[in-house]
Amino acid sequence: MSSHTPLLVLKDVHVEVEGKEVVAGVSLTINAGETHAIMGPNGSGKSSLSNALMGHPSYKITRGDVSLAGRSILAMSADERSRAGLFLAFQYPLAIPGVTVANFMRTALMAHRGKDADMSDFRKLFKAEMAALSIDEKFATRYVNDGFSGGEKKRIEILQLSMLQPKMAILDETDSGLDIDALKTVSQGINRFHNKSNGILLVTHYQRLLDYVKPDFVHVMMSGQFVKSGGAELALKLEDLGYDWVSEENGGKVTVK
Amino acid sequence: MTPLEYTIDNLPEGLTEGPQWLSDKRRQLRLSFNDKPLPRRGAHLWRYTDPGKFVPNSSATAPVTASPSLAQIESELFGLLEKKHLAAVVVDKCGQTATIRMSDELGKAGVVILPLEKAAQSHTPLVEPHLYQLINSEFGKFEALNGALWQSGVFVYIPDKTTISLPIHLVRDAGTAASQVFPRLLIVAGKNAEATIIDEYTGGPSDISSGAGMSHGAVELFAGADSRVRYLCLQRQAGGMNSYLTCRARIDSGAQMVTIPLALGANLSKQNFGVILNGKGADSRIFGLAFGSQYQQFDNHTLHHHAAGSTTSNIDFKVVLADKATSAYTGLIRIDHSAKGCQAYQENRNLLLNPGTRAETIPELEILNEDVSCTHGATVGPIDPMQVFYLQCRGIDYDTAERLIVAGFLEKTLQIVPGDLRERVSSLIRTRLEAM
Ligand SMILES: Nc1ncnc2c1ncn2[C@@H]1O[C@H](COP(=O)(O)OP(=O)(O)OP(=O)(O)O)[C@@H](O)[C@H]1O
Ligand SMILES: [Mg+2]
Repeated sequence: MSSHTPLLVLKDVHVEVEGKEVVAGVSLTINAGETHAIMGPNGSGKSSLSNALMGHPSYKITRGDVSLAGRSILAMSADERSRAGLFLAFQYPLAIPGVTVANFMRTALMAHRGKDADMSDFRKLFKAEMAALSIDEKFATRYVNDGFSGGEKKRIEILQLSMLQPKMAILDETDSGLDIDALKTVSQGINRFHNKSNGILLVTHYQRLLDYVKPDFVHVMMSGQFVKSGGAELALKLEDLGYDWVSEENGGKVTVK
Repeated sequence: MTPLEYTIDNLPEGLTEGPQWLSDKRRQLRLSFNDKPLPRRGAHLWRYTDPGKFVPNSSATAPVTASPSLAQIESELFGLLEKKHLAAVVVDKCGQTATIRMSDELGKAGVVILPLEKAAQSHTPLVEPHLYQLINSEFGKFEALNGALWQSGVFVYIPDKTTISLPIHLVRDAGTAASQVFPRLLIVAGKNAEATIIDEYTGGPSDISSGAGMSHGAVELFAGADSRVRYLCLQRQAGGMNSYLTCRARIDSGAQMVTIPLALGANLSKQNFGVILNGKGADSRIFGLAFGSQYQQFDNHTLHHHAAGSTTSNIDFKVVLADKATSAYTGLIRIDHSAKGCQAYQENRNLLLNPGTRAETIPELEILNEDVSCTHGATVGPIDPMQVFYLQCRGIDYDTAERLIVAGFLEKTLQIVPGDLRERVSSLIRTRLEAM
């Protein structure tokens, strides 16, 4: 289903946090219409890479290049990257006390559409997307992630995804903290979003999300590098065997600390 | 004569009118003012502000021109009165109470709103036992100053068992020039009465280039047993004002009082809000907010004095500073030896938007018995960069993200501001943030 239009291209990306290199040269091309998954042990650099791609001030890309739809994004601020079509669903979404979900969403959508854009459809759109994700209407007037349960936060991340319709969505452990029903609802939300012209990069530890959201490619990350790539079957093998065999296959070159 | 040697040689003409007991009091306070030394810089509550900034200029006079925006505010408030969004409107012009309008219902209910000097004459049994009871010369030199020289005095009385659901709105305008005003307010709410009073301070010169304007205010409030009183003080004077205000409330058993001090304006603003919980079951909440930019300087004090047992108090005082603005907040909780079973909470949070700002927070606890629960907390710091990043990740630019977070920080306080005013205060803050 891929149309081979490169959406997100990573070339030898290195990421540093607190003066320490945590991503040590990764390359990846995600074409429009594709879903990629990154799996890997705790601390292997998955979130660091995701944060760096989004422009997190603590995670610096020290080498390499990243382009989105043919344009390098390295010089862009996080908000410019978002408006250029990049999206990151956070592993740990932040609370913004005093700012309602509705106000936040309206401000975000307005930022994407431009200052003078018509926002008259906002209410309807917002209500419909909330309903599709089985989010209670009362969340509209609650403060962003303030006192939300883990699962509620993840749903709100996907609500933002469906409202903003990015070109490229990075979803960092969106499945963690979700109960069985919520996993299904959220997966459906991701699938509803996905189409021929956008791309998805999933970061996950578990096959159960991949049962719903089928990846075209799976990459294994260890110690800040992609050590193996394959199709959806690779995830199943990891589920059965863990990561040891991958590092052994690499001649012990990449060890898990 | 240097400003620091300022004395009141004579009470100005007009201030010796009214009942004898009042002019006697004024004379007494004039003498105490002259006798009392100026507070020493560095003395308690004067560590962050130069007392000399509040010494009147002997050549300054009462204002002669009302501030340009007063007419608009006035007509807006009269409109709200007509639409039954307000119960009464009081407007001070140039340091004199010019207009008092109230709904017919209020009159029928026995509510009294009068210029204070008139009320002292016509309602002596209501005024005399209360005026100067909480704020007098013992309080301090500047309190004596207002006590002697107050001009635009207002008296508000809510009889027992009377509920006034709409706010009573006062505007005290200080005019345009570098002049001086001495507003005073006395509120007496009877047993089981209910009322909301909005006390708005406006005017003054736009900057201090041709000398600061000066405002010395005093507010005394008595809340009878089981009454419910909300007092909102909105200080949004112009940038050339040195503003001093002392507010004391005494609330009886079972009374619930909410104080909302909002300080947005003036060059230098020193405000002291205190509530004495005087009867069992009394409850006081203070939701404060100071918002400063440019070179504005705030010095705020709060006092919760638990003089009776089983009383509860809560303070949430928020400060937002931009540019080179500074703030000092001193919050005192005093629990008397005999006041057992009290609960007191105090929180002061300061959001610093620029490196040039400075905020001090000084909690003071005088707890004289063990059978109480008292906690306090304070934070001083910039906006959480991670919150900004989160919003930026959704396409929101840095400035908008910052404004959204500040609005969120103030949301809880603004929610307590009565409807029509809330919109106005929010937009005042929004405009200030957008101009930064
Ligand atoms: N802000 C930070 N400061 C210091 N070290 C960090 C920071 N963020 C990440 N690291 C370190 O970088 C490495 C990679 O962490 P990262 O969060 O990217 O791992 P991950 O693959 O997402 O792990 P998990 O599966 O547990 O979410 C870890 O050693 C981690 O301790
Ligand atoms: Mg992670």
